[in-house]
This record gives sequence, structure tokens and C-alpha cells, in this order.
Amino acid sequence: MTPKREKNLQFSGANRYVLDPELAGIVNISMTLEMPLLLKGEPGTGKTMLAHAIAENLGMPLMVLNVKSSMKLIEALYQYDTLTRLNDSRFGDSKRDVSDIDAYIKMGKIGQAFTADTRTVLLIDEIDKADTDFQDDMLDVLDQMQFDIIETDQTVKARHRPVIIITSNAKKDLSDPFLGRCNFHHIAFPDPKMMRKIISVHFPDIDNSLAQHAIDSFYTLREVEGVEKKPATRELINWIRALNADKDFRAKDLVKGAVPFLGVLFKKSPDYEKVQTLSPRRRFF
Amino acid sequence: MFIPFFYKLKEVGIPVTPTSFLTLQRALNHGLVNSLDDFYTCARAILVKSERYFDLYDQVFAFYFEGVPLPDNQGFEVDALARSMLDEWLKDPKQLSDALGIDPDKLKHLTPDELIEYFKERLQDQKGRHEGGNKWIGTGGTSPVGHSGYHPEGMRVEGESRNKSALKVAAERRYKDYSGRGPLTQAMMGEALKRLRNLVPTGPRDQVNVDETIYQTMKNGGEIELVFDRSLRDRLKVMLAIDNGGWSMDPHIPVVQTLFDYARSQFKEVKTCFFHNTIYDCVWEDPARYRKPRLIDEFVKMDPETRFIVVGDASMAPYELMARDGSIHIHERSGKPSIERLKFIADTFPHAVWLNPVPRQMWGYTHSLMTIASIFPMFELSLDGLEKAVAHMMA
Repeated sequence: MTPKREKNLQFSGANRYVLDPELAGIVNISMTLEMPLLLKGEPGTGKTMLAHAIAENLGMPLMVLNVKSSMKLIEALYQYDTLTRLNDSRFGDSKRDVSDIDAYIKMGKIGQAFTADTRTVLLIDEIDKADTDFQDDMLDVLDQMQFDIIETDQTVKARHRPVIIITSNAKKDLSDPFLGRCNFHHIAFPDPKMMRKIISVHFPDIDNSLAQHAIDSFYTLREVEGVEKKPATRELINWIRALNADKDFRAKDLVKGAVPFLGVLFKKSPDYEKVQTLSPRRRFF
Repeated sequence: MFIPFFYKLKEVGIPVTPTSFLTLQRALNHGLVNSLDDFYTCARAILVKSERYFDLYDQVFAFYFEGVPLPDNQGFEVDALARSMLDEWLKDPKQLSDALGIDPDKLKHLTPDELIEYFKERLQDQKGRHEGGNKWIGTGGTSPVGHSGYHPEGMRVEGESRNKSALKVAAERRYKDYSGRGPLTQAMMGEALKRLRNLVPTGPRDQVNVDETIYQTMKNGGEIELVFDRSLRDRLKVMLAIDNGGWSMDPHIPVVQTLFDYARSQFKEVKTCFFHNTIYDCVWEDPARYRKPRLIDEFVKMDPETRFIVVGDASMAPYELMARDGSIHIHERSGKPSIERLKFIADTFPHAVWLNPVPRQMWGYTHSLMTIASIFPMFELSLDGLEKAVAHMMA
């Protein structure tokens, strides 16, 4: 790939993020086309981290909109603070001008991204939590890159089109009009080789055999059938941290099938019990 | 550019749109795509909007750029068709045998499995003889057997290693596990179930009612009077009981599965349980119906406001419903016939409905179905039926 450096910033990974070249290509294409990028994938595949990495790598400020189920689109755009205005009009002791509605309008995350002085990275996290109306309405805003403030009859236009990353955990698909306006990528769970790289990024001076054995046991444990919530990257990193902190622990124990700190990996009690009863048996094989 | 590629994607059933194709052209013009690898990722990100189609995309890509032949999807399709034919056969052997020109007496002695095999052979024959206009092989339309979808049971994903050409990667079919050619109309179910959302104001009083506050403040001569409302909170609990036993429900299970996949995210609390044909002493929380039984008697402890939704075809032998020992499970021997149990559930949950995948016009032919319909308000498992069911549950 020969990037056009004069106009387009190219995303090429960040300090603590192991970038998959395929994903880098998709991010760069989405940035050039100025289209939102929709990311799906298992929890722990680094969907949210990607936005952080882009922001860090390109030196752009990051806006995070955490979508909640009860959220209305307007909350993401702006808020009209009626209570403060009412209060000011009653007591008149603030420096704000009560007759100026603008003084009482606060930008939401999307609004902030639109009005920022520089190009920003806008992360819309877990969009699937909101209902489909929210998603469709938001796409209109992102498509037009503008929205109206009803109270003042103003139109807020994006000064710089933000780089938009949208994540979704859902198994179900989002609505068609939504998908039509996004680029799509599904992040697969990293394979052991990739995981090794991720681990060495997080623990630069980790003991080689420890990393290898930990990753081996981790992938074996992921294979256990009937587990409700499989451990993801985050759990593995925490687990290795725990193993590192324990002075009595030796990497060889892992080979024997011992799994200390199981609670770090499995957080649901049925899962925990299931794996616990299973792991001593593995020693005999 | 790549127009045949685009149409090939469309042909195999990936929902690609002309707009996205134009976007792809725009991407190509930007000079971002300089190799086949780039094209592979770029076109996939822009054209394919769900990981379920990644596998198909890989296949088409390999076919178009490398000439790897497209795998024959017939095997599965014929399978699904044969199953639905079996279903039809069980409902009305005469109609089907007339349509196929076979002798019903000849097939009487065959077991269901043998029947399926027989139908498969017939279908292969038919496909050979009638290219195109064959009404039996059509996907959809008026023919009683249609193409039905497929959801892989579990997804197993391995990661990918990167230093390969796109062609190799594509030919590898990494996304095989994600592939599922589900009929897309099922998306409508989510919409219908959404109407179940019952916003009952039961949250704490923590939202300012601006209009009322202004009004009261004016009334107060400018002295601020804050009026708070209860915040809206979705308190609806849903209990789904799904008949997943036996082959009589098999053709409907993908539909039902989508239904409750959608349902899960729509409510505050959704419990799912499974049963076989009808409910006796317990239902099971695991689909295999043996690890986690749940006693029906314990339903009394649940919130009676729970919406109890049964999904099943309600088609069985009359004794299964009426006899005191109708259950095939040895431990379900409380001596209460299933019909008593169903009445008990209907009494415990005033908002209970039965959704039936069998089309309404067929209901009159099954005795057990009519009996159950007299206990539970029964609705068709269709968008219309769902709407009616929802209206009933909200009444």
C-alpha cells in the first residue's frame, strides 16, 4: 500500500495495540471515504481499544459515546439545561445571560465531536443496546454531518468530519439502512500467535515459558464445552498479571494442568465450578 | 469495474446494494486499493455487512479471482426441503402424493427417516427433469415447501494468521462458522416483539417535568416549584417456553430461535425453557432437556405479571395431553395429565399466550391443538399473529 500522505493521515497501530494489517486497511479506507466503521466481534477482541489506538496514533482527541438502552438521540447531540435557566431567571445571580438560550445548551458527545476545533475520533460504543429508532436517527445525523437545535433553531454542522467507530456486540444484525451507511468488519478472536504478540505488548519483559504456557492453558480452557462466558483477552491479561504477582507460582505447574486463580478467568459461578471439576482430571492425560 | 463480481455476490444471496457498490468504486478511485489483498478487505468491508456472509464472500472471491468452483449448496437445500416435505406429508399425505404422483400406500410403512431419504431422492429426480419452472424446488412462492434457513448451532471462531494472500485466505473459508443463510424476513419478529415493551412508570421520581414545573412556578408567582415525574422503567418479565422436541417441530425451530434471540435484548428479564410436545411436571432450562429441570409447581412463586409465551405446534397424540402418564420421562409421574398442567399455567399467568407455527387454517384438523387453544389464547407464529398476541397480552 502506498499511502497518500499529503492529505490522508494513515493509521498504523499504536503503542499498546497489536494491529492486524487487514483491519488497518479497513480503517484507512473508512477514513478516506468518510464513512463510519461498524465493528462486531466477541467481547475482548479489542473493538473499543481500536478507537483508542486510532486516537493515540493520529493524535486526535477521542470522544466516547457509551450507548445506554434508555438513551434518546438528543442526549447524544445536545442538552438544553432548563433547570439552570429557570434557576438563573429566578435568582439572577449567575454570570449567564438568561435571555440567551445558547448559554444553556450543552453539547453531547456527538455535538462535541462536530464542534471540535480539530478532527476527532468519535467512538459510539455498543450501539446495539439502543433501539432501532435511535440507530436510524443517528445515522441520519452522521450522514448529513449536521443536526438542528430545536430551541434556538440553529443548525450545527460538523467543522471536521470525525472518524467514526461504532461497536456492536449483538448477534443480531442492525437495521438495513444503518448497515447501508457503514463499512463493516468483524474482528475474529485472536489466534495463539497473535495472542502472543498482544501479551508481549502488555508485558514486555515476561518470561518466555510463562507466556507460552499461560496462552496454551488459556486456549485449552476456552475449548471447555458448555461454558457460558468464555474468557477473553482481558481475562488472560489479568490472569498473567496475577500469575506474575504470585511468587510461589512456577510456569511448569501450568503444564501439569494446575490452574491457579481460576476466578480471574471465569466469572460466572457455574462456569467456575465446571472448569474446576474438570482441571484436575486433565492431569491424568 | 468488477460488475460481474458484484452480481455474483448478489446471486449467491449476499444482500449487496448498488449504493455500496458505488462506494466501492469511490474507494478504488481514491487509490487506496493497490493489490488484490487490499481489494479483498476493502470490498468486504464496504459490500458485506454481516459476518454471516463472510464465508459466502470468501467463496465467491475465490471463485471469481481464482476459479475455485463454488461449492454445491444443494445438499443442504434438498435436506431442508425434504424435511418440510415430510412435514407436509404428515399433515396431508394425499395432497402431497397427488402433487408428486406417488402412491401413498407405498410410503405408509416407511419410518420418518426413510421418508426423508425417499423425498430427497425424489427431489434430486425432479431437479434433473424440470429445470427452472419446477414448483417444488422453488424457494418461496406458493409451493408448500419453501427454502428454509439455517443457523449454525454454535459458533467457533479461530483467529487468522496474516501473511497470506487474499486468495489463500479466501479459499480457506475462515468465516465458515458464521455463515447462516437465514431468511431475512425473520427480522420482522424483533419489530413485533418490541411492541411488548410495556413502559410502566415505576422508577423513582427523579425526572423533572419541565412543563409542569413552569406552570407551577408561574402559579407560585415566580417562586420555583420543581415537579418530578417517575422515570419510565421497563419492568416486563417474559417467560418463553419452547417446544424443541421431536422432528414435528424441527422445521420451525430456526424461526423460533430467531424469535427468542431477538426477544432477549428486548426485555429486562427473559427466561427461556424447553419442553417436548406438551408440558408435564417440569420444563427444562437447557435445550437438551435433561440437566436443569424446573418444576411447574414452582411457577407460583413467579411474578404473576410475567408474560408467559409458549411456542409450540400443539400437535400430538390425544393421550399425551389427556392421560395421567402421558410423559415419556420416567420421573414425571405425579399423576396429573398435561392438560391439568396447562390449565394451571394459564391460571397462574393471566397474560399467557400460545404461539403456533402451524398456519391457522390447519388448526381444525388436530384435536390436541384445538384442546390447547381452548386453554391458551392461541395465535399464529406470524407477524400478524404476533401483533394480535401482543395486543392480547397488553389487554
